[in-house]
Amino acid sequence: MATSKVSETFVVPIGPQHPALKEPGHFEFTVDGEIVTNAYVRLGYAHRGIEKGAEGRNYIQSLYLTERICGICSHIHATAFALTVEKLAGVEAPPRAQAIRVLVAELERIHSHFLWLGVAAHESGFDTLFMYSWRDRETVMDILESLTGNRVNYSANVLGGVKFNVDNEQADAIRKGLEFLEKRAHHYLDVVINEAMFLQRTRGIGTMTRNQAEVMGAVGPTARASNVPRDVRVEAPYAAYKEYPINMVLDTRGDVEARFVVRIKELFECCRIIRQILDTLPPGELTTRVPRKLPEGEAVMRVEAPRGELFYFIRGNGSDKPDRLKVRTPSINNFTTVIKTAVGHQLADIPMILSGIDPCFSCNDRMVHIQNIHKHDENWMTWEELRRYGIEYYRRIRK
Amino acid sequence: MNTEEILTTAKELVKSWDWATEVTQPAADRLDVKVKELKELIPIIVALRVKRLGYLSAIVGLDPGPETGELEVLYQFCPGNAVITLRVRVPRKKGSVPSLCDIIPSAESYERELREMFGIEVTGLRTPDHLYLPDDWPNGVYPLRKDFDPKKAPLPK
Amino acid sequence: MKQDSKLKRDIMHGLKTWARVNSPWVLHFNSGSCNGCDIEILATLTPRYDLERVGVKLQASPRHADVLLCTGPVTRQARERLVRIYEQMHEPKFVVAIGSCALSGGVFRGCYNIMGGIDQVIPVNAYIPGCPPRPEAIIDGVVKLLGSLLPPVTKVQPVSSGNGRGSKEIAKA
Repeated sequence: MATSKVSETFVVPIGPQHPALKEPGHFEFTVDGEIVTNAYVRLGYAHRGIEKGAEGRNYIQSLYLTERICGICSHIHATAFALTVEKLAGVEAPPRAQAIRVLVAELERIHSHFLWLGVAAHESGFDTLFMYSWRDRETVMDILESLTGNRVNYSANVLGGVKFNVDNEQADAIRKGLEFLEKRAHHYLDVVINEAMFLQRTRGIGTMTRNQAEVMGAVGPTARASNVPRDVRVEAPYAAYKEYPINMVLDTRGDVEARFVVRIKELFECCRIIRQILDTLPPGELTTRVPRKLPEGEAVMRVEAPRGELFYFIRGNGSDKPDRLKVRTPSINNFTTVIKTAVGHQLADIPMILSGIDPCFSCNDRMVHIQNIHKHDENWMTWEELRRYGIEYYRRIRK
Repeated sequence: MNTEEILTTAKELVKSWDWATEVTQPAADRLDVKVKELKELIPIIVALRVKRLGYLSAIVGLDPGPETGELEVLYQFCPGNAVITLRVRVPRKKGSVPSLCDIIPSAESYERELREMFGIEVTGLRTPDHLYLPDDWPNGVYPLRKDFDPKKAPLPK
Repeated sequence: MKQDSKLKRDIMHGLKTWARVNSPWVLHFNSGSCNGCDIEILATLTPRYDLERVGVKLQASPRHADVLLCTGPVTRQARERLVRIYEQMHEPKFVVAIGSCALSGGVFRGCYNIMGGIDQVIPVNAYIPGCPPRPEAIIDGVVKLLGSLLPPVTKVQPVSSGNGRGSKEIAKA
């Protein structure tokens, strides 16, 4: 990282982030004056050894393990695992169960996008937006709690189906909640595309062309904001997405603003799909039997988590324990995009570029390590100060 | 192209060059290509990329067991609904695969993980350190191998 | 004179305890959790639960914090940071372990890269179980911890006002 000029290395530990089995330890940015000249990622703070853990647990226990890979998209992980196991076993969950899986997955997407919106707003100094979006998010959490019994870690899946049913009363409550959420989403879209303070931090920042996004392996809304038509629900529909198709939300600009716009517009799609499912929920069973011991063989499943494509691979060896479980989470791809797009940007833009890929959360347990390579002394600063640095910087140049 | 057409195109592509491969179709939407000569791995990948047959979705390391003396690496490409898997076998001791970073930059993270979890060297990979494992992890201990002994990496006090 | 300085000390101690109890500054640390507990902790600051209005302030630096809220099963990588943060906090300091992972490692118990709970690394004063615990449970746990800091009710001090309300007020405190 050392250069011959007077430059400083900012080590920005982001703290555990989801949706990872392994979560980022820190990013390192080398800065020359104000401009970033190099970037590097070192993960590991939340590496818990889940893939190895699954080898020592049977398939049912591993389901509960995969639910806790990430607290924000716990359902999609469990769904992917259940779908992969069902594929390996050669069974299909009944249509009603698949539809309920999609219902909960879209509700989770709504909760995740609202959460991200608040955190990203906080990064840019917009704390009111953070408070409002998290308050609105409580509506989704209430819905999920009334359906599944928990606000987080809904545990809706069993191998072979789902645990709970949706009745008419619950459906009406969900519809009411969606009305409120849609109204709020319209309001946030308005703020994001019209509020000057916001645009200063997002328009033209962190731009990725379509080609760059493809080459760097971007997935999810980050890729779609650069006009890359990648969405597993459309390309490789799973669960009930064939019966309830999604319209991909794309944006051509590829900057941080585009990433905001794509995620908010996806909220409308989620609401539409949920309404469609509630209106036409297929009748039938909720589970189908999955044998305890799974045959030898391999199964691959890709699903669309709120952050992008999630890849699951299971290898069975005829026993009741997986021989190998592989989970490739979307953020690992999107980190590469941060590293490449950060170079050439101001240090003050780093918080927003990082938020743009939806790197989960927690503004408060991040510490920044500043190392002056000429003096070899070390200072622990807080991420708060880097965040405020960005906010102050833009306040100064506005004057 | 639908899934069937994609897989047929891939099969024909692999046959049309004189590569040492074994092609099987374990499921309707999957194609397994066993690459017998390691030096042909990159040309095959380039050919797939040129035909736009999928992007690299994951690199999966597998341990078929210490008694086989080998480790397996799967390169998973995903065009649409299909999954094309290139399978490569390397020896357990000092096995190595070439890095794909020059053609596919996003492979870097996958390769770093493969190296630290299985002990397979990736020639040409520029970043030397761990991606997920802690800095004080002992050398030569690879967690995802079947013969991993947790006692060799004791927890600090 | 000795009585004066002891009185002063008692008053200062009472004042500090009151300040600590009524406006604790908390630091949140994630030692490798899935973030489920962390988002519930953050949710306690948002309008529905709004802990800030009762004086709980989320701090960014260990040097200013009274209470450390910890989540996660403590991965090897996070362990050193956790110890360092604990050492940087000034006495008296309190540690709250939130969530089943922080209590015992949770579902990850036995996995190769985790220590197995916060108390494997630093002393813990309060445990809040759940996966994740609801914001109400988190608030309840923190309030119980702070409540235990108050002087015990048996110390009844003579009240000079003599209007009969005195002893009842103290008993409530």
